[in-house]
Amino acid sequence: MSAAKKPPKGDGLLPKELVESWSKIGYGLGALGVAAFAAGMLGADQARFGAAYLVGFMFTTTIAVGALFFVVIQHLTKAGWSVAPRRIMEWLSQGLIASAVLFVPLVVMAPKIWHHWMGEHAAHDQVLVQKQGYLNQPFFYARAIVFLVVWALLATWFYKLSREQDSTGDRKLSDKLQVAAAPSIAALGLTISFAGFDWVMSLDPHWYSTIFGVYIFAGCLLSSHAMLALCIVRLRKDNIGGNLLTVEHQHDVGKFLFGFVVFWAYIGFSQFMLIFYANIPEETVWYLHRWNHGWHVVSMGLFLLHFIAPFLMLLSRTAKRDPRLLAAGAGLLLFMHWVDLYWLVMPNFDEHFHFQWVDIAGLLAPVGVTAAWLSKRVLADPVYPLKDPYIPEALKAENL
Amino acid sequence: MATSAPVTPGDTPGTRAKLVLGQPTFKTVNEDIASIVESKPTPKYLLGLMFAASILLVMVGSLVKLVYSGVGVWGLDNTVFWAWDITGFVFWIGIGHAGTLISAILFLFRQKWRTSINRAAEAMTIFAVMAAGIYPAFHVGRVWLLYWVFPVPNQMSMWPNFKSPLLWDVFAVSTYATVSILFWYLGLVPDLATIRDRAKTKLRYLIYGILSLGWRGSHRGWLSYEKAYLILAGLSTPLVLSVHTVVSFDFATSVVPGWHTTIFPPYFVAGAIFSGFAMVITLMIVARKVLGLEHMITIRHLENMSKIILATGSMVGYAYAIEFFIAWYGAVEYERYAFLNRMFGPYWWAYWSMVSCNVIFPQLFWFKKVRTSIPALFAISIVVNIGMWFERFVIIVTSLHRDYIPSSWTYFTPSIWDISLFVGTFGLFLTMFLLFCKFLPVIAASEVKGVMPQADPHGDDHHGKDEEAHAHG
Amino acid sequence: MADAHDTHESEVVLPEPDKGELWGMMGLFDTPADLYHAAEELRDAGYKGLDAMTPFPVHGLERALGLKPTPLPFLVLGGGAAGLASGIALTWYVNYDYALNISGKVPFSWHIYIPVYFELTVLLSALTCFFATWALCKLPTFFHPTMRHKSFPRTTDDGFFLTVDATDPKYDSASTRKLLEKLGAKEVEEVHS
Repeated sequence: MSAAKKPPKGDGLLPKELVESWSKIGYGLGALGVAAFAAGMLGADQARFGAAYLVGFMFTTTIAVGALFFVVIQHLTKAGWSVAPRRIMEWLSQGLIASAVLFVPLVVMAPKIWHHWMGEHAAHDQVLVQKQGYLNQPFFYARAIVFLVVWALLATWFYKLSREQDSTGDRKLSDKLQVAAAPSIAALGLTISFAGFDWVMSLDPHWYSTIFGVYIFAGCLLSSHAMLALCIVRLRKDNIGGNLLTVEHQHDVGKFLFGFVVFWAYIGFSQFMLIFYANIPEETVWYLHRWNHGWHVVSMGLFLLHFIAPFLMLLSRTAKRDPRLLAAGAGLLLFMHWVDLYWLVMPNFDEHFHFQWVDIAGLLAPVGVTAAWLSKRVLADPVYPLKDPYIPEALKAENL
Repeated sequence: MATSAPVTPGDTPGTRAKLVLGQPTFKTVNEDIASIVESKPTPKYLLGLMFAASILLVMVGSLVKLVYSGVGVWGLDNTVFWAWDITGFVFWIGIGHAGTLISAILFLFRQKWRTSINRAAEAMTIFAVMAAGIYPAFHVGRVWLLYWVFPVPNQMSMWPNFKSPLLWDVFAVSTYATVSILFWYLGLVPDLATIRDRAKTKLRYLIYGILSLGWRGSHRGWLSYEKAYLILAGLSTPLVLSVHTVVSFDFATSVVPGWHTTIFPPYFVAGAIFSGFAMVITLMIVARKVLGLEHMITIRHLENMSKIILATGSMVGYAYAIEFFIAWYGAVEYERYAFLNRMFGPYWWAYWSMVSCNVIFPQLFWFKKVRTSIPALFAISIVVNIGMWFERFVIIVTSLHRDYIPSSWTYFTPSIWDISLFVGTFGLFLTMFLLFCKFLPVIAASEVKGVMPQADPHGDDHHGKDEEAHAHG
Repeated sequence: MADAHDTHESEVVLPEPDKGELWGMMGLFDTPADLYHAAEELRDAGYKGLDAMTPFPVHGLERALGLKPTPLPFLVLGGGAAGLASGIALTWYVNYDYALNISGKVPFSWHIYIPVYFELTVLLSALTCFFATWALCKLPTFFHPTMRHKSFPRTTDDGFFLTVDATDPKYDSASTRKLLEKLGAKEVEEVHS
């Protein structure tokens, strides 16, 4: 049955009306984001807005890093099926260019956000003094520049070559991408780990956990696949991508999403279990902060809604193939990814769990700017790699 | 070690290399695989078997001595209370993980190249778990009371301590052994039926007829069978992760510097897969040559495995680096000392052997020339196995030998019985593997047939009537 | 290895056909494509008791044969739930029966029993999966009527059988045979238990 399938006809572009309405949404969100940012900066509690903004920044950046990772690993493994959804991930990875700009406000607010080790008192802290070789401002910013530049360059380069193949169909481009993929994966793995250490773990500069980089990385994978699943469901609703983007690809993405739900839980549980069991005060304090003064509601919420609920929702084959069920699971996971980051960051700023509207402003600003940037950058491009040599294989993809 | 196999055309973008070389038909696949079982053992094979069995005797002898005299025959003391025994346990369990990875995870990822190697790799898993099980079973001292590890009431009306990672090990390893055997046997049944149907003696017909459960390839059967295979693959994947995770908990739940670090679970899993693939390469290079299966286990299979070794080796390298970094970053004096002591303390030689074997040498796999050269593959795969043994040794012994009180500090030296038992477990592993190669189909014939081009019912551009109908799948 | 060639000249003889109860009809095809095509024709002709015997699972054949999906996943889910429940019951009971105070953890500290819960869930799921599969295949057995067909050994080699159950209401010795032969089946035979 597969042999009869032909790639979709036409130029693979999104219909005009969709581009228009999506651009409107994108730019609208952008305007809203800028407004939210202004409101937050002018608001009373700037440290709180800084923290909320960091959560939002991590939210968009982790999705984009996960998307870039997906793109690179598909080249690395010479995967066939993934050609169909790959372009969407290439699009999402372009958010990293926005992230490079969105980091600037963090630099401005840095002394308020990472005040535990950037502040004056750090010089008198017995522990922090020993860490000064790593936790000092010049090195911190230098590292951030390296991470952001590496990501932006990789995202741009992998997209550029893929677009080039759209017009030329040159197989050598695939070779080139495949060769570059292996070192790129290594670079991504290292940068995201240390970004996690720098930007999130160092908020509590006394605390340390070797698995923390992997935890952030698991969040990247999960959130980007949730976003991908939502995009696929939306595109398939209008039958964009035709018989190239089929329910089989949706099913495959659903499987990965399910797998990463488990992976995230596995990493999260490993960290929790080892710290809980060994019961060393300087480590358990981190979980203690997340267990007292209302935070245990968020902690249990993560366990139930970031793991148990999506696990049950996505377990069956039917759910992965049903657009509504899959979208519900993916949407929940995307929301919970934000909650997860909130849970990592906020207890360092507020002992008590108090939701504030400024937390939403902090999310809106990076999301809006990234959405506007993506509208400008990608919506005019084809939704799938037009002449990728693996298209015939992607057409054949079928799940047992 | 030059190979006579034809050069394998590699993948180019858009076209996949052939999985089986030459001009195979369904019949020749059967012939190639079943004839190994049907032919008389060669003198070379018997010689190999005798060699392996004699090493197995070393194991038996070591165990007799161990049970007779007690655990004191090992080189352990009050400070280093765990050394070669637990190193050997983790080493063997880790080796087993590649088999499950190949049979389950690569299956879920639809990696068709796995079909020629999964059967042997699964067998390897089972034998490795057997070898691993020897250590905890005999380390309890009175091995005849081993059943106490299970939750059965004994005369003291006590239950096992469910809060101990060692008890989780009991559950994890026994589940792993059971599920691996089930998965392996499920895969074997269609091929056992093949041997039954080719049988020319009543005895062989009887034996393989019983073993194959009466399988006749009915599609109603295949339907459940394929689903079962998928489900078992889906269950084995988290299971294999959990096993080495629980093994890592044995160390990481403690407060010993160098053991208590949160990255241990994924790091142990990556290391296990790393060492297991190295063992698969070592075995396959020998097996394909000896059994004449070069056209089914091609250079491409070996190259793919070497890429996985490179990937997992890099993950292990990442874990070493992060561990080291966080030991410094955590600013805990004892952690810092533990890691510096590993590098420059009395066991510096073990640490640097580990780093060079596990991180530096596998980097050679970046070069295609190395990945496709049989002697290089063989050499590096052995280097990796040595490195992974050292990794466990480094983690275990260097963390223990500096106790909390300097007066308890010691330097562990293995006794002859430590060494002989470890060597002996190789005898068990090899003997079992050789017996497997002779009496069971070493390659999954039905799966290989399924990935051949002529297996596709639509290969000739004949279109099914219900083109787009997805009845249920 | 020399004796491995003329393998189908098996000396193993099954009991002589005693013309027991009629099981059904078998027709042999040489390629999966022919079998697939024939199965579709028979299904569309209204046959309900179709099955195939092949050396490997032919992709998508269940659609051509009109077979129902297997209930296996639900059985496994049940097995897994039983495993989880038994894990919780076990850890609760042993801590209730004889509580061990270890490193200050409360007797029933479910967080740290999670590895045990997980392993028992997997164990019971896998055992259910394994044994239910054979039950659904109506195995184990040593003998089956189809084994009387003289080319039966080819089912595990390179032969592709299409079979029609005698219990199929449309089954008719003459017309079914004719249809099978028209579709290219060779060695069409009725087999008896």
